[in-house]
Amino acid sequence: MGERLSGDGGPSRRRVQAGTVSGASEAADVTALETVLAAVLRTGDVDPRAEQRAVAAFRDAGATGARRARTRRRDDWRPAAERRAGRTVRMTFGAVFASVALGGVAVAAIGSAGSSTGGAGAGPRTGQPSAVAPARPGGTAPSAPSAGSRPTDRPPSAKDTQAHCRAYEQVRSRGKALDATAWQRLVTAAGGKDKVAAYCSEQLTRATATPGRRTGQGKPGESAGAAGHGTSGGTGTSGNSSGNSSGGTGDSAGKGRSGGGGAGGKH
Amino acid sequence: MILGQVRQPRRVQAYDEELGAAVARAQEGDEAAFAVAYRFVQPGLLGYLHGIVGDDAEDVASDAWLDIARDLGRFKGDGAGFRGWTATIARHRALDHLRRQRVRPRSGGTEQDVLHLAGPHSTHEQALESLSTERALELVRGLPRDQAEAVLLRVVVGLDGPAAARVLGKRPGAVRTAAHRGLKRLARQLGISSETEKGVTDGASRTLGEST
Repeated sequence: MGERLSGDGGPSRRRVQAGTVSGASEAADVTALETVLAAVLRTGDVDPRAEQRAVAAFRDAGATGARRARTRRRDDWRPAAERRAGRTVRMTFGAVFASVALGGVAVAAIGSAGSSTGGAGAGPRTGQPSAVAPARPGGTAPSAPSAGSRPTDRPPSAKDTQAHCRAYEQVRSRGKALDATAWQRLVTAAGGKDKVAAYCSEQLTRATATPGRRTGQGKPGESAGAAGHGTSGGTGTSGNSSGNSSGGTGDSAGKGRSGGGGAGGKH
Repeated sequence: MILGQVRQPRRVQAYDEELGAAVARAQEGDEAAFAVAYRFVQPGLLGYLHGIVGDDAEDVASDAWLDIARDLGRFKGDGAGFRGWTATIARHRALDHLRRQRVRPRSGGTEQDVLHLAGPHSTHEQALESLSTERALELVRGLPRDQAEAVLLRVVVGLDGPAAARVLGKRPGAVRTAAHRGLKRLARQLGISSETEKGVTDGASRTLGEST
């Protein structure tokens, strides 16, 4: 699977560079489309009766004590690093507990000499899991992809902001508000909900004033691509994911992705 | 395991922080906080369900919320995680519903009608501006299922790639590709795409969608 993905990543990244110009406007179109879709498809008015039913169900669940149920794997949506940390704590605790218990047995069986061997045995065991765990989240795998792989993670480029602003102008004129990732990004960039309008008008005037889009565009794509290269050495999967989406989220998304997709389809 | 490796630390959005706080309080038994979480999540969930089960979305969402209310104590995670968790529950309910109805999820098919419905728009802005909820829904439901779901989870529910992949039980790369193809196809149908490469590998993705 990993090989297939990296096979896709190569051509798409190359195409990215070839199709920068038309790719840029296309990516802006897609961003605007996403924003409008989110505004139009999110169901704005929530039925109060449905809400009451849900709250009633919640109340019942509390009354029957169902809420203290165990967390299953599918219920654990913590970020991966946190999940690992939780597991490490459990493992460490288990190791300590086991070593104490075994130590006790050893003390009981062999006397004072046994306790020192039990202690020595426990040392590396408890040490190991906690030594391994911090090394992984700190390593290249999780930190590097965060730079380029996830569309919502990267700092909004000027191009995106403009596209969001245009979409915002469009839906605002119909009395609708944007309420999705794109909108939140816009709010974050503007520094507050009430500042969006002012921020957008400023952005859009700047966009028309300086047509130097291409220089701004080249950078995120390249840096994301670099991130992809960097991590692919470490773990195959995460490296690919960032490589792929650097084609996708960058300005030249359209070409890159469809290229990769075409190759994928033929398999 | 693969999922675990690909998942990245999330950037916690202001909205998700509030949601996460509400969920945490609800887990302590705070009813008002549960209602707050409901209001945060329900619009995206309904939008997603409308795209899969159409007019039955409200009923399916109601069922899903019964599960969510019951299992809330099991959930672990932040606001973004809660959106992923609830979307998974809603999806299971939707699939159950479709199975009961013995209605195959719509895929492809309507593209022809949809194509000639796309009026001539002089600018991209016009095409987007005139997009109604009904029309958007119709277009999304005309997509192959895997593309429709990927687009809805990413854009409407607002999940990131890895979370959407976890909801769908697929690799993040596959979901990213599906979302991208879906969006490109929508852009083409709306006449806001400069390119006219027709249905790149739609055949392949359709079989993918049916295999789920």
